[in-house]
Amino acid sequence: MSVDPNAPTQGGFPVPPHAGGPPRPHPARYLVPALVAAAVAVGLGAYGKVHDPEGTAFNLAGFSSTSAVKSWLGTTALGFALLQVVSALMVYGRLPGPSWSAGLHRWSGRIAFLVAVPVAVHCLYALGYQTYSTRVLWHSLLGCFFFGAFSAKMLLLRSEKLPGWLLPVVGGLVFAVLTVVWLTSALWFFRTFGVTT
Amino acid sequence: MKRSGPLFTLLAGLVLALFMLSVNATTGTGSSSYSDAPSGTSEPTASPTTGAPGDRPKPGRTATPTPSPTPTKKPPADGRYTGRTDDDSASVAITLRDGEAVAYFCDGRATESWLKGDVEDDGSMRLTGKHGAKLDGRLTGDGARIGGTVEIRGKSWKFTAPRAKKPSGLYRATSEVRGEKVDGGWIVQPDGSQVGILTRDGEPAKAPRLDPDTGTVVLDDGGRLTARPVVP
Repeated sequence: MSVDPNAPTQGGFPVPPHAGGPPRPHPARYLVPALVAAAVAVGLGAYGKVHDPEGTAFNLAGFSSTSAVKSWLGTTALGFALLQVVSALMVYGRLPGPSWSAGLHRWSGRIAFLVAVPVAVHCLYALGYQTYSTRVLWHSLLGCFFFGAFSAKMLLLRSEKLPGWLLPVVGGLVFAVLTVVWLTSALWFFRTFGVTT
Repeated sequence: MKRSGPLFTLLAGLVLALFMLSVNATTGTGSSSYSDAPSGTSEPTASPTTGAPGDRPKPGRTATPTPSPTPTKKPPADGRYTGRTDDDSASVAITLRDGEAVAYFCDGRATESWLKGDVEDDGSMRLTGKHGAKLDGRLTGDGARIGGTVEIRGKSWKFTAPRAKKPSGLYRATSEVRGEKVDGGWIVQPDGSQVGILTRDGEPAKAPRLDPDTGTVVLDDGGRLTARPVVP
């Protein structure tokens, strides 16, 4: 059932313009994305934990190892994620931007996500959810969390009449988590093994 | 009006993930730095569909292979086998799954080898490992034991490995402890005894005890590892 947020409130006490609380959206608007996010994150973690890591997966030609491929894909994703932050600021008018900044935001996000998916597949398939060191623990945890948070962000985009702060906060969370995931994997790889392909 | 773009984005990611999983599951062992698996093994051909990811092996559950209703070609039953060399100087363990075998030879001090290969329908196997290591074995008709020879660095041992039940078998842990690469292998015998070698920074040494129930290994310096059963 939907509630018309613009319907006049009964009782007649005055509502100052723009000062009233935001119209309360149906709880499902939050609940469904939150539940989907939790299911995605827990599901990925459970898959990575339960199945035996295969250890191997196919490699791309031209790279010395799958970890090098993943590091570069992850770095690509992070680059597009930075573009996400900039284009989001443009969309919200905090930075001067071209008229197509919304399109830029959408497409850089899609590319970042699609580039990150193969990395996650390899992580979960070949390595699994591991906890043997602090770096690995945080990477496993936040890697799963990232895809949950991203799913929530995508589903929230479909809702209208959300509080204005919600999307930027969730988007910022997704970006922050991706950054930590990158720091605990690709940056570690480059520092340990050198910036190699 | 609801935006459907975000849904398509999520779906595209899901489809891509499923596609990559299926490629991974069907190509089997690829070239990957994650696997210190011995090189030079033959590529698995047409692995049965039961080899899907997340499919846990169930070794040792059935003592005898269940009779197949159809007289098609059937690889030897899955299982784990642990035993010793005839001179009792080292342990050998082999795990079979879907017509493939992975074996570990370990004397608990300095000599170890991981070997891999296919199991023929008649139960024979020729496994190969790094530095020219070889294992020729044959599964007895009733699936009760594997006997054969291992050859590592010019030395040769005969061995017999009876069928074993969980938690016997071979375990491996590869990880990093304080920036140091650690690689351990263990063989747990049915009587509970075990041997293992832990290589830290390229230096092999006797491994600390593995708790077969949890896979936990506590290192001398207090660090912890988790070893997992090895399957082909």
